Order: sequence, then structure tokens, then C-alpha cells
Amino acid sequence: MSEVRELPLVEAIREAYRQEMERDERVFMVGQDIAGGIFPHTKGLVEQFGTDRIVDTPLAEVGMYGTAFGAAMEGFRPIVDFMFAGFFLNAASPILAQTAQFRFIHGSQMSLPMVITAACGAGMRLGNEHAMLVHNMIAQVPGIKVCMPSTPYDAKGLMTAAIRDDNPVAFIWHLGTMMDRGPVPEEPYVVPLGVADVKREGSDVTLVANGFQYKNAEIVADKLAGEISVEIIDPRSFSPLDIDTILKSLEKTGRLVVVDESWESRSTASEIAAQVVDVGFDLLDAPIRRVTIPNIPLPGGHMEPYVAPNPDAIEAAVRDVCR
Amino acid sequence: MALGKEQMALLYRNLIRADHFDKMMMNRIMQGKLIGFYHPGDGAMAAGVGASTFLGDNDILNPHHRAHGLGYAAGRGIDVGRYLAEHTGKVDGCCGGRSSFHWSFPEKKLYGASGFIGWHFCPVVGWGWASKRKGNQMVLMASGDGSYGQGGAHEAMLFAMNWKLPIVFFCENNGMAIHSTISDMHPMPDISSLAQGYGMPAVVIDGQDVFAVAETVIAAREHALAGKGPTFVEAKTLRLREHDVGTPDLARAEPRDAQYLEELKKRDPVVLATTRVLAEKVLTQKQIDEIYKEAKEEVAAIEKFADDSPIAQPSIEELLAGVYVA
Ligand SMILES: Cc1ncc(C[n+]2csc(CCOP(=O)(O)OP(=O)(O)O)c2C)c(N)n1
Ligand SMILES: [Mg+2]
Repeated sequence: MSEVRELPLVEAIREAYRQEMERDERVFMVGQDIAGGIFPHTKGLVEQFGTDRIVDTPLAEVGMYGTAFGAAMEGFRPIVDFMFAGFFLNAASPILAQTAQFRFIHGSQMSLPMVITAACGAGMRLGNEHAMLVHNMIAQVPGIKVCMPSTPYDAKGLMTAAIRDDNPVAFIWHLGTMMDRGPVPEEPYVVPLGVADVKREGSDVTLVANGFQYKNAEIVADKLAGEISVEIIDPRSFSPLDIDTILKSLEKTGRLVVVDESWESRSTASEIAAQVVDVGFDLLDAPIRRVTIPNIPLPGGHMEPYVAPNPDAIEAAVRDVCR
Repeated sequence: MALGKEQMALLYRNLIRADHFDKMMMNRIMQGKLIGFYHPGDGAMAAGVGASTFLGDNDILNPHHRAHGLGYAAGRGIDVGRYLAEHTGKVDGCCGGRSSFHWSFPEKKLYGASGFIGWHFCPVVGWGWASKRKGNQMVLMASGDGSYGQGGAHEAMLFAMNWKLPIVFFCENNGMAIHSTISDMHPMPDISSLAQGYGMPAVVIDGQDVFAVAETVIAAREHALAGKGPTFVEAKTLRLREHDVGTPDLARAEPRDAQYLEELKKRDPVVLATTRVLAEKVLTQKQIDEIYKEAKEEVAAIEKFADDSPIAQPSIEELLAGVYVA
């Protein structure tokens, strides 16, 4: 078998856009400055698909989102790009109060096939507004799926799945992974939404981590190798959440640490902990540890490295449950 | 109302200071000595200086994001040392080093910059309402042409006009928002045409002319303080460089025309103001040289203050204590 080509994560996302737009006329992108591009995920697309399908809008998140929302009802399959995930909050009402709950409340008659995407994450010291991860805010609302890739392979597969899904899907990607390179098959493929991935096998502790934090988890697992055997599970989707893969791992390890780049309270980390206690209590040999952002607005300046989850905090939690 | 010579001299001084602040920020971001991004104000510092220099102490000021508000900081008498300390994450920063570039000086009624363009169209209604209730104060609400895409802009103009709130909507129209040109974003070339639908008085002025900007804002401020309601002031300005340092300078997906950018440079507000203060004998060349010397010294002092301040890295416990009022 020939070796699989490597791509940076951001180009893997772009390849999914390109292939799905070639495959399906109904797919189009809408956002601010996506023709010129703020991040390279849209680079070159306007040259290939023109301004009917790479649609730049005024600086207006509600109107921009509305383009996607209404067009989806009319049978198009929009991808709406919010640039930085914090800006999504400007359109939180139509997304969370309307789009997500729309199908159900209107008798499950309509589908709203659309992708909401944005970059985010700590690391650039930009402060709360630009760094804020919004996955948990969205994932709390039934009716919309939420995912975030950790590797280029998952990025292309999850984006392809998101575009093909007949539901609204929020695809968030972390700026700290933008240029990470990894193998990406050239042909289109799908990484199913709602399916976690065992990224590293181990026997002593289950470490759940995703996005940039997946990289931190790998750093810790490498460091502890020979001392503590760490199994890393990447949930890939926050909603629906694949709890079964985590439970299966716990049958082996009995110990759980969940990393979530989000506030400690009411996070995916909390949700996983709650579900595990609910249905997997007997599997646990130690209390569950959450590694998250304390309940403070994520500061910029020089505080990100220790306020956001980091290898030291993850290592301490792993050691704590393995005592 | 024509400006007096002292007023013109002050505007000139603030313009030169603001220009030095912008250059300081450019140098620092290139050297990696700034946190976050920098959106250069090169060639476009006059509007902020002209709009803010003659505000009253009670007035509320919302700075435009370009040049991270430094033209307004110069006009308002902001302590730029504490500003830069904030932008470098230092203990003496105006927000304790935790805001990156989201600076605020509440004691100067400058309630805070934001990375969300157009966010201020929400609180501006309350700033205007409170100013009307209290009397003897108004609001200068500065932002760019792009920000008027936000729905909130229309809500703010509606409320302001309905309630005759003392607000000056000050729009720095540089014809660009990142890679989008004004014609991509607005059906009309003048943003102030939006005000007409609300029956709000509106004027278009040359934002490169620091004196014209100041004269207009002084008049609009008096209109507001007299209980006559809001005014829309559109200052036409320009963007000489890329949107923010490190981002390519595009119009849509194409590089911006180099010749056009060269033409824009002829409209440098410092050149325009210098010609005028000399021609009208507001300042001598010797006095101008002195102003430049002082601006350089001020920048050196600002940088020293910020660089000498320790890095702000409070404990999690200290940070938690700052979330709620005790
Ligand atoms: C709510 C929101 N949407 C998008 C952005 C990204 N963004 C940052 S500056 C900018 C353009 C602003 O244009 P304008 O208001 O004209 O000011 P200028 O940069 O031209 O001075 C955009 C779109 C943002 N910061 N906030
Ligand atoms: Mg602009």
C-alpha cells in the first residue's frame, strides 16, 4: 500500500469543503471575508466555486447566519463560518433558540442540513472573546450536533460527515491544531458523528481529551510511559456523546480523567462524569478528575498557559487517580 | 465655529503623539513585544484625535478598534503607560494584565474595548439614556464602517432618535473591513445615509483633517448637550496597510492595488496638519520640532514603564476572587 499523504489540519478541512462542493451543488459557504480568507481553510475556494458558492457577507452575524438558515429550509446545504467561535454568540438566538429546536417543535417535518463552523481555543493570548470554546454552550441544546477534530484525519472525516448530515452540526476547530500535520486519505471519507476514538491504548487510566488538549494528553502519556499506562480516548463529538467507548475503557482501567477546555461547571467533563457515575459506578476504582478552566473568564495576557488545561495539570490529575 | 490657535496647537500635538503611539505599537508587534494582534492606524490617526480631544470629563467615550483606540487615548489623556502595560500582560496594566487588548479606564469613562465589532451598539443606548437623565454629559460612540453592518447599530440609532439621546455616532469610514470593500458591504457609499431613515442629522467630513473633525464633533456635542438628540458624523479616512499585522492586504481575494495605496499616502493627516499650522502661523517649525521631541520622549517613558512592570501571573485563587463583587 502506498503511503498516505500528510496534510495540515486546516487543509484537511478545506479538502472536505472542496470535495463535498464538487459532489453536491447544494453545498455552499457563507461567512465574512472567506473569499480572501482569514484562516487558510477557505483558501482558493472562491477561484474554483465562484461567489455564488463562496458567499461573503457584511459584518453582520445575524444576517450571515440567516442566509444559511433560510437557504437550508429551501434545500441548500450551507456551511456558515463564524471566523472566531466567540462571534457565534452574536447569532446565538437564531442558532440555539431556533435552528436547534426547530425541527422537533414543528412536528419533525423539516430538516435543516447545515454546518456551523468556527475556530477557537486558548494559546494565542487573545483573551476570552477570541479564545472562548463554545462547544458546551451549543451541546446543551438538543437538536444540534457538536464535534471538534484532534487530527487532520478526523478533521476531514468529521467535516465530510457534518456536511452530509441532515441535521445542523457545529464543527469547532482549535487554532492550536491548525497547522498540525497528519495522514489524510485523498478520497472522500466519513468519520461518523457521535463515535469516539481510542487514540492510544493503555491499561491503568482512561484519559479523555480532544482538540488541542488531545495533544497535551499525548505529551502526558509519553512522559508517564513505563510508569503509568494511559489510554487516550478522543470523544470527537460532544453531542451526541459516545459514552459506551469510555465505559468500555473503564472496564479495563477503572480510572478516569477528563480534559475539557471549558469551564469546570456544566461542561462535557461534567457530563461525562455524571454519566459514568450513573451507569458505570461499579467500574470506578477512584474518584473521577476533571481538568478544565476554573470558573473564571479565560484571561489573556500571560495567564492562559496555567489557567487553561495544560500538561502539568493533566499529569497531576492522572497521578492523583492512580495513587 | 472656527477653532482658536491654542485648540489647533493642542490638536496638532495630540496628532503627533497618536502617530508616535501607532508607530510604537507597530515596532513592538514586529519585535514580538505585544500581546495579541495589532491593527495599524497608519495614516488614519486624525479622526480619533479630532473626535476626542475636546470632550468633557463627564462624557462617555467609546473608542474605535483601529490602532486599538490610540488616537482616542491621545485625545482623552489616557495613561498610555498603563495601556501598554496591559497590552503586554503586566501587573501595572489598566486591567491588571488580564484583558490582552480589551483595555478600559472606567475612571475616564472609557468603559472598555472589545474584540466583538459592534458590541458597543448595545450599551450605547444605556450610556445615552443615563447621560440624558444626569445632564451635562454625552456619548461619543466611535466605530468603523464595517460595524454598521451589525443589527445592533440600527437598534441603537432607533432608540437614540426616539428618545433624543445625547449621542454622537462617529463613524470612521476607511472603506474597508478586513478584505471586504465598502461596496461589498453597503448599498450606499456613505454610511451616514443610514441615519436619514431615523431622521437623524448627519454630516460627512474629511477624517484626514484633524481640525475639521474637531470642529464638527464640538458642534455635534453642543447639539447633544442642548437636548436636541443624536448626530451622525461620518469621517472619511483610509487604510494604508493590511487589516492587522500578519494578514495579507486583500480586497476580496486579490491584493490591493499598490498604486492606489501610494495615492492614499498623499492624504497623510500629519502632512496635511503640518502644512496648515505652518501656513496659519499656529506653530513655528521650532515648536513643531519640540513637539516631535516630546512625543519621542513620551514613547520612551511609556515603553520603559511597561517593560519595567512585572509580568502579571496571579494565582487561580486571586483570579477567582475577581469574578464577583465580594
Ligand atoms: C462580531 C465580530 N465579527 C467579526 C469580527 C472580525 N473583524 C475584526 S475587525 C473587522 C472589520 C472591522 O471593520 P470596520 O468596522 O470598518 O473597522 P476597520 O477595521 O476598517 O477600522 C472584522 C470583520 C469581529 N472582530 N467581531
Ligand atoms: Mg473600515
